[in-house]
Amino acid sequence: MTAWLIFELLFYFILLLAATAVYLFNRRTRLYIKSRKIMLIIIFGSYVILRLAVWGLMSLESFYQKITLATMPIQLIMVALNATIFVLLYTMFLQGGMAKISKSRIKGELVDIKWSDVIGMDNVKEEAKEVVELIKDRARVKKIGGKILRGILMFGPPGCGKTYLAKAIATETGLPFLAMSGSEFVEVFVGVGASRVRKLFKQARELAAAHGGCIVFIDELDAIARKRVFSVFGGTEETNSTQNQLLAAMDGLSEVKDKKGELDTAQNVIVIGATNAPEENIDRALLRPGRFDRKLYIDRPGLEDREKLFAYYLGKVQRDPTIDVGKLARKAVYKTPADIENIVKEAALIATRSLRDVIRLDDISEAIERIDMGMKHKRTMTPKEREMTAWHETGHLVVLYLLHPTKDVFKASIIGRKSALGVVHENPREEWFTRNREMIIADIKTSLAGYVAEKLKFKTTSDGVDQDFKMAMSLAHNMVWRWGMNDVGLVGDYTLIPESQISENTKETLNKETNRIMGECLKDVEVLLKKEWPIAERFAKELLEKEELDYDDIEAIFNEYGKTHYEQHEV
Amino acid sequence: MRCKKLPALALLCSCVLALLPGCGPTYPKEDLKESIIKVCKKEYKLDVKVELAGKTVAIYCALQDLWDLTFAMTKKASEELNDVILSVSRVTLSTDASVEYYVVIAHDARLPEIQIIIVKRVEDVKRFMLNDISRGEFSKRMLIDKRINPQAKKEHDIKQVFEKMGLEKKWQDTVMDDFFRAQPAALGDIGYWNDRFYIKDIQLPEFLVEQIAGRVRMEFFENKNLAESVLVKSTKGNYINKDGKRYFEVSVLGEAKSVGSLRPDEISNMILSQTLKVAADVIHGYGFEDVDYIVIVDEANSKALKVTTADAEKFRKNRMSFDEIASQTEN
Repeated sequence: MTAWLIFELLFYFILLLAATAVYLFNRRTRLYIKSRKIMLIIIFGSYVILRLAVWGLMSLESFYQKITLATMPIQLIMVALNATIFVLLYTMFLQGGMAKISKSRIKGELVDIKWSDVIGMDNVKEEAKEVVELIKDRARVKKIGGKILRGILMFGPPGCGKTYLAKAIATETGLPFLAMSGSEFVEVFVGVGASRVRKLFKQARELAAAHGGCIVFIDELDAIARKRVFSVFGGTEETNSTQNQLLAAMDGLSEVKDKKGELDTAQNVIVIGATNAPEENIDRALLRPGRFDRKLYIDRPGLEDREKLFAYYLGKVQRDPTIDVGKLARKAVYKTPADIENIVKEAALIATRSLRDVIRLDDISEAIERIDMGMKHKRTMTPKEREMTAWHETGHLVVLYLLHPTKDVFKASIIGRKSALGVVHENPREEWFTRNREMIIADIKTSLAGYVAEKLKFKTTSDGVDQDFKMAMSLAHNMVWRWGMNDVGLVGDYTLIPESQISENTKETLNKETNRIMGECLKDVEVLLKKEWPIAERFAKELLEKEELDYDDIEAIFNEYGKTHYEQHEV
Repeated sequence: MRCKKLPALALLCSCVLALLPGCGPTYPKEDLKESIIKVCKKEYKLDVKVELAGKTVAIYCALQDLWDLTFAMTKKASEELNDVILSVSRVTLSTDASVEYYVVIAHDARLPEIQIIIVKRVEDVKRFMLNDISRGEFSKRMLIDKRINPQAKKEHDIKQVFEKMGLEKKWQDTVMDDFFRAQPAALGDIGYWNDRFYIKDIQLPEFLVEQIAGRVRMEFFENKNLAESVLVKSTKGNYINKDGKRYFEVSVLGEAKSVGSLRPDEISNMILSQTLKVAADVIHGYGFEDVDYIVIVDEANSKALKVTTADAEKFRKNRMSFDEIASQTEN
């Protein structure tokens, strides 16, 4: 027994020596021990208890040892049961501590989204590549006196690939990737959000120390990054303290050197934020250099990118090889990558429901229509109401086709969708990021055309014009009050001036101008429709018969009457 | 091997190192006798002698003031005897030696002829420790007998003969050794006399039949209804394995306590049925199968009952009445 004890003590001594050597000479082990010290203390404590138990057991006679060992399984089961009940109650009532965060730590290489998988957005991609290089070669940047990146903020409409790009950055840098949503920091309990921020950054620093860097990705950043509110009564919102903690944590990522004067890798934490909110809604403190140094605006894809996206997503499904992705890209103006993926998926569902193995062009058209306009649902209308709806949509259709400089008629229908009885679905021919006066006037005329058609045909009108008038009036009002598109010489954004500070005369002048624009548009539409009455009658008839007309049908009818797009008409 | 597995391996080695010394018996079979002597001496300051006979271990101790003037055991002696029993129990339970029974022989240092003999089965002790049997049942399962040492009695008688014969003293011991000192054939002859153990390797059947006899005696003493009606003077148990037949023979000598209270046949039935019940309980309790039938003899009324073990089991389970069993014997 004594020999055995000596042997055991010798083993522990060697083990202790080896552990000390590893601890002293291996940084990763040091970090491992530091980051898991609680777990290691528990293991060590458990082992000491076990050793003491064995010691106690050894002092018993073998029969009593056997009794103890024989009853041990049932005792262990009871202990496990008690522990399970305790943990269940603990998690049920305390949820493992309010500050617990469910962050997913992912190794960069496991995300596996490469630059080649990021379709389109070439400009942004170039910027992102540069960022990756800066992150990877931090020491070199520092050596030449360059500025180390702390954070990247990605703006843009939803579905444009911000998260996807962040994942690509993680893959290309090969660094650990901690992803959280901004809403995960928001809790009803005061201080929980700030605590979660601290925990997140603590873990990020530990990972950075072990792997040379770490990327923290906060999606929907606006949840905690919107402009702070400072109350005159001294209180602040909970998001303020969360944001303050984020600011402090990002400040804490400043350059720190170790004793040897080398850069401390624990500080190499890059924060990538993504938000749909406009830049002006984000708190200025977050946007200043040293926090989110780079701002990447990720916009909807252009024509070329849309072509690539359609080719990419259609390449993943069985499709008719004659489908022209260029034509699809032209149809899908303003669509985001997520929209395009959704269109292809929806088209696949439609093809499956039609018992076909391949996706056809009409499946994609129907998918776009469903996504844009919603599912069809037939309503039973009286013949009179149905006729009125047909004439209303005819008005929109004819004016849009003949007068609008930038938009096409994608589809006209008198089948109900959502709350509408009928619809003329318009589609921009190409991307315009601004609108000129002519375009806006054309939009107003298109909106008013339904009303005019009803009036000309039935000598009365319906309340189906409600949305049309809202649109037309809003455009005319903005033209005059905000955009300086008036002929009265009042240029500027008058909506910025408090109403009490604008003279009655100015107001009256502006309002008169608005009415003038509306009146002239109305008159133009009336003239046009009267002139093209046979075409209007034909379309109304066709709609009543077929209920739906596609772009090709519409163009064929116009061509039949020798009409083409607006270019040949005076606006 | 990956470095990540090293800590786990080190932990495993530590656990193995910690657990291994705990394996193995506390009292190895080679040191069984010495162990019992050592435990008694070291922990209870008692001097004992130990002898082995097959799977039976016998412990002898001479106690001071074992009996008081009424021949009842003194408290001090009782405690010392319990210490000896506890010591031998501990050793026999924690050894790798194959020990099935232990016998504790004790006597008063002043009266070596009158001995107390306690026989216990190690398996019963183990079951009691594991709460598999109750304390009451455990106490019924040990054999306790207070008697004049048969060997002492025998030697005393023979010495008288030697005196009459005029045999010289120096030859008396030799003749005694050669002809009158032998290992006992029955449990009743076990004892210690003149620095010599008289023990045997106890077998389960004889242990059981002795237990039945003892239990019957105790039952008629402790059970109020029985004790009021019948006085059992003696019981005797014997296991017979002859001509391929194996049976327990239990003889009971009893009589009515008061004249005229019960008829002789009623007394006889009471003795026979109660003895049968005890025998069936014991056979069932030990799961003993090496017996074909039980013969119960009512010596006072010269009546006997022969019951197969199957019928005894039915009787125990109340699936067969005593009258049915008795009528079968008559047929």
